[in-house]
Amino acid sequence: MLRIEGLSAGYSAKPVLNDISINVGAGQFVAIVGPNGAGKTTLFKTISGIVKPSGGAITFDGVDLLAVPPPQRAHLGIAHVPEGRQVFPSLTVMENLEMGAMTESGRRDWQSNIERIFEWLPVLKERRSQFAGTMSGGQQQMLAIGRGLASSPKLLMLDEPSMGLAPSTADFIFDRLIEIRRQSGLTMLLVEQRVAEALESADHGYVLEAGHVVLEGNNDTLRADDRVRKAYLGM
Amino acid sequence: MEGFLQALAAGLLIGAVYGLMCVGLGLIFGVMRVINFAHGDFMMLGMYTAFYLFTAAGVQSFFGNAVGPFVSILLAGPVLAVFGYFVHRALISHVSGTRTASLEGEGHYAQLILTLGIALILQNGGLIVFGSVLASIRTPLSSSAWELGPFFDMSIFLNKARSIDMIVSLIMMILLSLLITRTRIGKSLRAAADNPTAATYMGIDVDRAHRTAFALGCGITAIAGGLLATNYPFHPFVGLEYVIVMYAGVVLGGMGSIIGAFWGGMTIGLVQQMSTLILPTQLQNAAIFAVFLLIIFFRPQGFFGRMVERT
Repeated sequence: MLRIEGLSAGYSAKPVLNDISINVGAGQFVAIVGPNGAGKTTLFKTISGIVKPSGGAITFDGVDLLAVPPPQRAHLGIAHVPEGRQVFPSLTVMENLEMGAMTESGRRDWQSNIERIFEWLPVLKERRSQFAGTMSGGQQQMLAIGRGLASSPKLLMLDEPSMGLAPSTADFIFDRLIEIRRQSGLTMLLVEQRVAEALESADHGYVLEAGHVVLEGNNDTLRADDRVRKAYLGM
Repeated sequence: MEGFLQALAAGLLIGAVYGLMCVGLGLIFGVMRVINFAHGDFMMLGMYTAFYLFTAAGVQSFFGNAVGPFVSILLAGPVLAVFGYFVHRALISHVSGTRTASLEGEGHYAQLILTLGIALILQNGGLIVFGSVLASIRTPLSSSAWELGPFFDMSIFLNKARSIDMIVSLIMMILLSLLITRTRIGKSLRAAADNPTAATYMGIDVDRAHRTAFALGCGITAIAGGLLATNYPFHPFVGLEYVIVMYAGVVLGGMGSIIGAFWGGMTIGLVQQMSTLILPTQLQNAAIFAVFLLIIFFRPQGFFGRMVERT
């Protein structure tokens, strides 16, 4: 579904991504793990068009993504749940969800989507008229996920949903993501620093270090790998 | 007491129009974060557009002297909105929005120079095209009044033209609030203002949202300008006098708050009129800024401003 080939990108003269190749098949849950500054967020921003690549190709559903203007990419079915949540603080929870549903498919499926989102993330239903800026970090993260789901995406990209959250809240959010995936079969691409949890829930993983893919494989292979065990899993 | 009530009424009447004028600028600043120094001159163009629509384009002969001016003023709004749309497309979009999001200072320096340049061109261009003779959109209503009262032997006189100006301003303000809070376009404008990057992730074309905001802001201020012109004569450099009031209103309301800008403008109208009770008329504007400084001293974020930086 999403095929990234030989992608390089960076800010001005400083390269952040070097010849990255990543594949996400339809229905897969792929995790990209790695330390801070490995280029994970830049990779997502390049997919969404906020960062311009210096080389390589991205195709989504057979479409050359780099030829599509950034705001149009959401309309192809890519939902980006950004790092640090980035909900719209002066809009209410409901209005944030409506913004998620700017796409044609989001508008068409609004009723059924909103019911499912409220079922998966009931706190959003309770707080539907609250301004998003006044919610806690965990609630904002759930709103950011709900906002992504409201577009009826083909691919949900999650950039560090556990960032800045208490461990128990982060666990809850992981649990919700697994449940959402189990019920909807949605294709997901997750970037995470919490390597153990990410590899546990995903079926395929990539390890990104200093802008290079240093390792890839299904979750058993990765979790069995010595380097991963030592560096990330603390075993 | 009678003088106080009279000044209060006059302040409310002019305040509503100032409020509308400030909202036009507040919308542009709130959504785009662009400091538009040319906004007073867009308003001046709006005044002349209404003036020529009334006198030369046949509105006067069709609607008459009482209704005609207000029809022309309302028509000047869309005309200036289209003008603003193209100014944004041709000039402003090059130094704002997604093109400059990654630049240091987000292109603010270029915006300053560009909007100042546009202001100079409009002022001097206006001088060539319209001449330096004072113009005004007078109606028979401008020099007649409704009498409220008498209550306890006090009567308040409301200038008819100014009263209609206030009603038109309030209607425009209600329509704009509905647009901003209820419609899809309005919500996407607010989303683009809150966080342009996240708005792009939602599939909102931020540059198009900016263009919409700029066009709307120009149209709204043009209507406010036309309304002011029913009582105050104008000339090609009149924008300079108003742009300062506009910024004071936007800052008072809270930078970035669109509805706040209306209350900021209203406050300025009230202070301006009430100050005449205790100060000579020449000090009206000094009074505005004294109150402005006081409010900013005690409430630096303005009436409706948020203390937090936007993410």
